[in-house]
Amino acid sequence: MIGGGPSAGPSAPGATRRRPVVEPAVALESSIAPVDVDLSVDLGRGLVLANPILVASGTFGYGIEYGDVVEVDRLGAICCKGTTLKPRIGNITPRVTETPGGMLNSIGLQNPGVDAVIEKYAKTWTGWKTAVIVNVAGESVGDYVEVVRRLDGVPGIAGIELNISCPNVGKGGLQFAIDAEAAGSVTAAVRRATDLPLLVKLSPNVADVRPIARAIADAGADALTAVNTLSGIAVAPSRTKPLLGNIYGGLSGPAIKPVALRIVYEVAQIVDIPVVAIGGITELGDVLDYLAVGAVAVQVGTAIFADPTLPVRLVDELAGECRRRGLSTYADLIGTALPRKPGAPSAKGVEYRP
Amino acid sequence: MTMRLVRTELVESREILPGQWLQSFHAPALATGSRAGQFVHVRTGDLSGLVLRRPFSINTADPISGVITIHYRTIGRGTEWFTRLRPGDGVDMLGPLGRPFEVDSRSRHLLLVAGGLGMAGVRYLADEALRDGRQVTMLFGAASARDVYPSSLLPDEVEYVIATDDGSVGHRGFITDLVPDYEAWADQAFACGPAPMLAALARLAAGRRERLGVARLGRKRGGGKVDARGSAVARRKAFLQVSMEQNMGCAVGACLGCVIMGANGAPQRVCREGPVFAAEEVAWESGW
Repeated sequence: MIGGGPSAGPSAPGATRRRPVVEPAVALESSIAPVDVDLSVDLGRGLVLANPILVASGTFGYGIEYGDVVEVDRLGAICCKGTTLKPRIGNITPRVTETPGGMLNSIGLQNPGVDAVIEKYAKTWTGWKTAVIVNVAGESVGDYVEVVRRLDGVPGIAGIELNISCPNVGKGGLQFAIDAEAAGSVTAAVRRATDLPLLVKLSPNVADVRPIARAIADAGADALTAVNTLSGIAVAPSRTKPLLGNIYGGLSGPAIKPVALRIVYEVAQIVDIPVVAIGGITELGDVLDYLAVGAVAVQVGTAIFADPTLPVRLVDELAGECRRRGLSTYADLIGTALPRKPGAPSAKGVEYRP
Repeated sequence: MTMRLVRTELVESREILPGQWLQSFHAPALATGSRAGQFVHVRTGDLSGLVLRRPFSINTADPISGVITIHYRTIGRGTEWFTRLRPGDGVDMLGPLGRPFEVDSRSRHLLLVAGGLGMAGVRYLADEALRDGRQVTMLFGAASARDVYPSSLLPDEVEYVIATDDGSVGHRGFITDLVPDYEAWADQAFACGPAPMLAALARLAAGRRERLGVARLGRKRGGGKVDARGSAVARRKAFLQVSMEQNMGCAVGACLGCVIMGANGAPQRVCREGPVFAAEEVAWESGW
C-alpha cells in the first residue's frame, strides 16, 4: 500500500482537481452492478494510502490505545501524537474542556521524545497495513531537522507531518506557521534532511494563510494539512481565572468546520500539492464538503472521542456514496465546489473578512 | 475484560438527592467484566453540540441481573441530557476503563472514605469487599444533611459514618477528622472525593506507620523486595489508594488530556494509569 507503484490516486497535480462532476442519471443507479470503488490516494513521494480517511494527530495516540475497538488496518493513515526531540511533560492541568460544538485542548506536546517513540512503537507499526505518519514538533529549525533525521529510514514510518502550528506551546510551534518565510525555511530544512513524504500542517490563526501555504509548497512539501486548532480560551466556573492550566487552548470539533472549510477552499486553489483537510468532521457529509472544496483526503480528530468507530465507518460510507452515484473513484468528488475559472474573485479576495 | 463499545439500555432513573441521580443500565458485559474502581465513558445523544463522552465511575455492578449503575450530579448540558433518558433508551458506553482498586488478600478491614459525589468512586468496592468476606467502614462527608447519601442505598453490613460541614448530621467538620479513629483498625483505605480531601488523607496515611509504631513481625509483606511503582502488586501493598478525577477527552490514553502529576515527575493518565492510584504515586503539592 505504501510506496511503489504508479499513483492511481486523485492527487496528481492539476490532473483531477476541478474536474466537473459527472452526475449519473438516477435511473442508472439500480442498473449498474456494484463497482469496486477506488479510494486510494497519493499524497506524494510514494505515500499512497488505501483510502482518504486519516486519523488526526493527538486524537489517536500512537495507534494502539483504542485496542480492539478500532480496526486500525482499515484506516487510510494514522497521524501519531506530536513528537519532539526531547521528552516533554506537557502543560499544567486542566488540559481539556468541552465548548459549544467543540473542545479546547492544551496538552502542550506531552510526548516521550523521538527516540522513545521509535523504540516503543515503530516495530508495531511495521506490522500494520495502515501508514503511520509521525507528527513532528520543535522549537527551532535544528530541532525539527534532528527529529526528522532520526525518523528517516526507520521501518514502520511512512511519512512526516510537520507540526508548525501547535498553539499550545510557548516557544516554537506556532511561530513557524504565522510567517511565510519561517514556514518556508523550516520546510526546506526538513526537506533536505529526509526523503520521507512530508506533510506540513497549517495554522488557522493567521490573517491570510495563502502566502504561507505557497511558501511551504515552494519549499518542497509533498502535501498540506489544513488546519490545526484555533486558539481560544475558556473561563473557570468560579469566574476568577481562565479554565485551562495553560490559559490558551486549541479549539477543535464541529465549531471550527466553517473556518477550516474556508482555508481548504483558499489553499486548494493556489497550491499544486494535495491538501488534507481537518476540522470538525463527524459524518460523511463533512467529508464530501471538504472534498468539494479541493481536499484529496481528510483527517478525523475530535469526533473519535465520541465515536472511535467513525473513521472506519466513513471509509465504508464514502465507498457507498461513490457506488450510489456510479463513480469508480472518489476523485470525481474532489474540487466540485471550487470556482471554475482561475482568478475568480473568491480565489484572490479577502473582501468578506471583517 | 478488555474495553469494548457496549450498547446498554436504561432500566431505571431516579433523583436520589437534590440534583443527584442514580441510573441503572442493562449492560451484562460491563456488569460481569468490570472491577471496583473502573469507569465507563458514556456518549451523549447530541454529537454536534456535545462532542465529548462523559466518564462515570461504575457505581455498582450486578453480574446476576446484568445491571450497572452510575451516580452523578447534574452540572451541565451533558449530565442534564442523561437525566432526560427514559427506561428502554439505548446508551453507548465504552468500558470498562482504567485500573481497579487493588485489595490485599490479607486485608480484613477496609476503610472507605468518600467526599460528596466521591461515593460513586468507592461504592462498588463496598460490595466487592463484603462479597470477599471483609469488613467495611464507610466514612462519608458532605456539606449538609440534604447532601448525605441515603444509608438505604448501602449494604446493611457496612458501618456508615457521616460528617457534615454544618453539623446538620453526624460529625461537624471534615470527614478527614474522623480518619485517625480508624487508622489502627483499617488494614487498607480507599478514597474518592475532592482533591483537598484526598491530599489530606495522603498526609495522614504517610504518617500512619510512625504514629501506630507499627513493627511488622515475621515475614515482610512481599518479602522486602521493591515492586515497580504503579504496578498492581505495589498498589496492593499501599495503605491508601485514591480514585482521582480530571477533565477527560478520549479515556483510553490517546489524547493525554486527563493527566495528574506523578510523584516520579511524570504526568500520569487518570484514564489509563488510574483512575485509582496508590497515594504515594501522586505529587500532591505539584499544583497540577
